[in-house]
Amino acid sequence: MHIMEGFLPSPWWQIWVVLSAPFVIMGFYALRRMVRENREALPLLAVAGAFVFVLSSLKLPSVTGSCSHPTGTGLGSVLFGPFIASVLALIVLVYQALFLAHGGISTLGANIFSMGIAGPVVAYAIFIAGKKVGINEIVTIFFAAACANIVTYVVTSFQLALAFPAEVGGFMASFMTFGAIFAITQIPLAIIEGLVIALVFKYIVQLKPEILIRIGVITQERAERLREGWA
Amino acid sequence: MQSIDHHFLDDYACRNALRGIDTRIKLILGLGAILIAISADTPYAPLFIAIILSIVTVFCAEIPARLYLTLLLIPASFALMSVIVILFLTGGGVPILTIPLPWLTFTATDVAALNAFLILSRAIGGTCGLLFIALTTPMIELFSILRSLRLPDEFIDLAMLLYRSIFVIIGEAVAIYNAQVMRNGYSSFRKGIIAISMLSSSLFIRAWDRGEELMTAMDLRCYDGKFEILEPKASLTIYHILPVFLFLSLAGILAFLPLPFPPL
Repeated sequence: MHIMEGFLPSPWWQIWVVLSAPFVIMGFYALRRMVRENREALPLLAVAGAFVFVLSSLKLPSVTGSCSHPTGTGLGSVLFGPFIASVLALIVLVYQALFLAHGGISTLGANIFSMGIAGPVVAYAIFIAGKKVGINEIVTIFFAAACANIVTYVVTSFQLALAFPAEVGGFMASFMTFGAIFAITQIPLAIIEGLVIALVFKYIVQLKPEILIRIGVITQERAERLREGWA
Repeated sequence: MQSIDHHFLDDYACRNALRGIDTRIKLILGLGAILIAISADTPYAPLFIAIILSIVTVFCAEIPARLYLTLLLIPASFALMSVIVILFLTGGGVPILTIPLPWLTFTATDVAALNAFLILSRAIGGTCGLLFIALTTPMIELFSILRSLRLPDEFIDLAMLLYRSIFVIIGEAVAIYNAQVMRNGYSSFRKGIIAISMLSSSLFIRAWDRGEELMTAMDLRCYDGKFEILEPKASLTIYHILPVFLFLSLAGILAFLPLPFPPL
């Protein structure tokens, strides 16, 4: 769900830039720390970011047919944490604007906030909570990815509603209308994205669990338990 | 291939006729146009920007007109949905269109229509500015600009590695997708979900392996935490600065002149 170039009037696009900046700067520091501690991290982050980019330019099989791109940031957040995910989202969003004409430069702040901050933070929180409670990782990943997608679209509706409040009913009426219109495409899409990311996670655990164990997403025992469960 | 959008604008940017012109002046033109377009209070400046930049992109940069038009249509579905909401939500003035539905009535007024038109024109003007940058400035040249902006080295290296990885991964994605289509991988919705998950996961694993190989290759070449970029030397000349300056001032004047809108 990208807000297109030129759509947000002043002062809203500046406000979202200011709100997103601290997260991205925190992300810069997290990135620097990660690279210092483990110099292998950089190429791996790069391929993960490229994966998010390619994933978000895939068209998912969708019910409604229109704008059915996954956001992919849920996975990035679960793997590397929300701050790194916001840096990856910044790069991916700039590339999407410059390579595919999705999103834009002036709306970058707003799009980072919805796709790169709100979505990943929720996905990360759900994943950590699920881990604590001890729910099956695949189920948690489904909810994390689906909720990241839904939160992204709710925040986008929120941003549009703030910028364009309704004459009657003001912000809330506008928020409900934007939300309702985007829900037609986004709710099925969120469920599909959740399913796909959960299946992706399942296949990775089956084929190459070393990756997930090395970056500390799941432990050795959990990976073996999960694989035994399917066997 | 219909499912993966890999007509990257960067390919065209590398071959455009304005490639030799200094990156800074192209960025100033594109970003300046976007800024003016979104801060204008009347649709004149955004439309002026849209027309001039489209002409420059199609004729001076020699981007195929057909491609340019399809690119302009990419954000159209978003624009359409959002503009319709704005049309029926904002009010004031005389109602011009009423759609009665059983549970509520939608009303669009003349002020709302003008407002929606203004927002649409800003979006079109902004998109033309974005497309100008996307189609005339290859990403490679933007990296040296990012360096001169003093962004962290790790970030720029990450951006460059990510850029490189995209092309590697997308090639594999296309190959896997074609193989899946030939085996009826997307013949039903259920199969489609499974197929796309298998595609994504094997893509992820392959990408990860590539990353590890790349790491070894970088170690062998003594990577010490910063990629050096060779900056192409293009010089700023008055023939480039003057038209850009003229265009931006004209657009700026159009944007901030208290012109009547609507014209009558």
